[in-house]
Amino acid sequence: MLPYLNLGPFGLPAGPLVYLIGAWLALWAVDRAARRVSGRRVAAGQPALDPEHAYALALTALLAGFVGARLMFVLLHWSSYDDNLLGVVWPLNTGYNGVGGALIAAAAGFFYGRWRRLPLWPALDALAPGLLVFLIAVSLADFLGGAGYGSLTNMPWGIDVFGVRRHAVQLYEALVGVVALGAWWAATSARVPVVPGRPFLWATIAYAGGRLLVDAYRENAALMAGGLHVTQVVALAILLAAMALLAWPARRRESQTAE
Amino acid sequence: MRDRIEWLLLITLTALLGSGWIYLSRETGAAGQPIALTTAPYVGALAPDFTLQTVAGERVTLSDFMANGPTPVVLNFWATWCPPCRVEMPHFEAAHGLYGADVAILGINQAESAGAIAAYAREHGLTYPLLVDGDMTVNHLYGVLNLPTTIFIDRNGIVREVLIGTLSRAILEQRIEEMLE
Repeated sequence: MLPYLNLGPFGLPAGPLVYLIGAWLALWAVDRAARRVSGRRVAAGQPALDPEHAYALALTALLAGFVGARLMFVLLHWSSYDDNLLGVVWPLNTGYNGVGGALIAAAAGFFYGRWRRLPLWPALDALAPGLLVFLIAVSLADFLGGAGYGSLTNMPWGIDVFGVRRHAVQLYEALVGVVALGAWWAATSARVPVVPGRPFLWATIAYAGGRLLVDAYRENAALMAGGLHVTQVVALAILLAAMALLAWPARRRESQTAE
Repeated sequence: MRDRIEWLLLITLTALLGSGWIYLSRETGAAGQPIALTTAPYVGALAPDFTLQTVAGERVTLSDFMANGPTPVVLNFWATWCPPCRVEMPHFEAAHGLYGADVAILGINQAESAGAIAAYAREHGLTYPLLVDGDMTVNHLYGVLNLPTTIFIDRNGIVREVLIGTLSRAILEQRIEEMLE
């Protein structure tokens, strides 16, 4: 863990720094992915996907997600802000609602896509690597900052967290993200038939399946009735939904027309 | 048709294996009690009682502050790895010095060892009671998901306010003054 990067007299908080770098890399990944997806579609005789529109969609979702996560947190904890309105905009190093931010980002992205008439599945294919890069950045920021830490372990790969040996669950999560990026890359390779949505669904299955597996080793997981980990339940639901969409006969018909 | 059956079997198998894994990795015992995804405890309700040890091994029971005095209590949930917690801890130290025995300020750590907490307290000159919650019992009891979380409890043991995020010194002192009125 390295909560602060000390540069001479200055101490930079590592978490927000990783978030910033992660956001920049995510946008870059969307641009590169959109070009790859578009190229593969053109080679298969399908309409191209405009990388600039995909990039703008990602940027819109990112900004909406940032503002939305903050506003959602402020609304949920209004008693902390009602007599300190300046606190709504400063400091910004804490106080975000991740679920609220994700929902607002998805809504903003959806409406932007509708406005630009972007095809849904190819757009999701282009966005998937950016989303994964951002999720990897979140895991690395948690690792450096110390949040979302792992359960106790005696395993040799455990890490020392202030004198206690724990699973490096944040690094496990980041590794899952890298595997999902590999799944996306494989699904967009020249040897695989072009099926709109398949790269996104492969990446989703890999990431959701991986999080289902590794979240078992998280110590401070949000719990629901029966002590079940909320993240695992959500990951399983997403995994099953992605598998069902991949198996959807209509999609296979689309595959046949694409060949 | 054959493809459809294969997919159905695969999805069913995944659902069964996934559910089994979730069940195996569930939290059991005190840590397995449901934790509200909203802030808990609710403002206006009695604060759940607990007993924890300080880093020096002294036992601290919440209800003792209501029985003897009675004294309002400020619970601050924190961890050494939490940057926003580090920012606000000097404010709690200052308030501890300013109000003395009029208000009990208790720092409840999240899952770290007594040694690590004591070393942090020495390094940063913290003198108010820092309680060890190694198995997260009290963190779970209070449904703490975000750090830092600060809970203001009045003389009657009623939760006055739950604040999540970094507190400024002015806000902290204002809330304490309100409880002392």
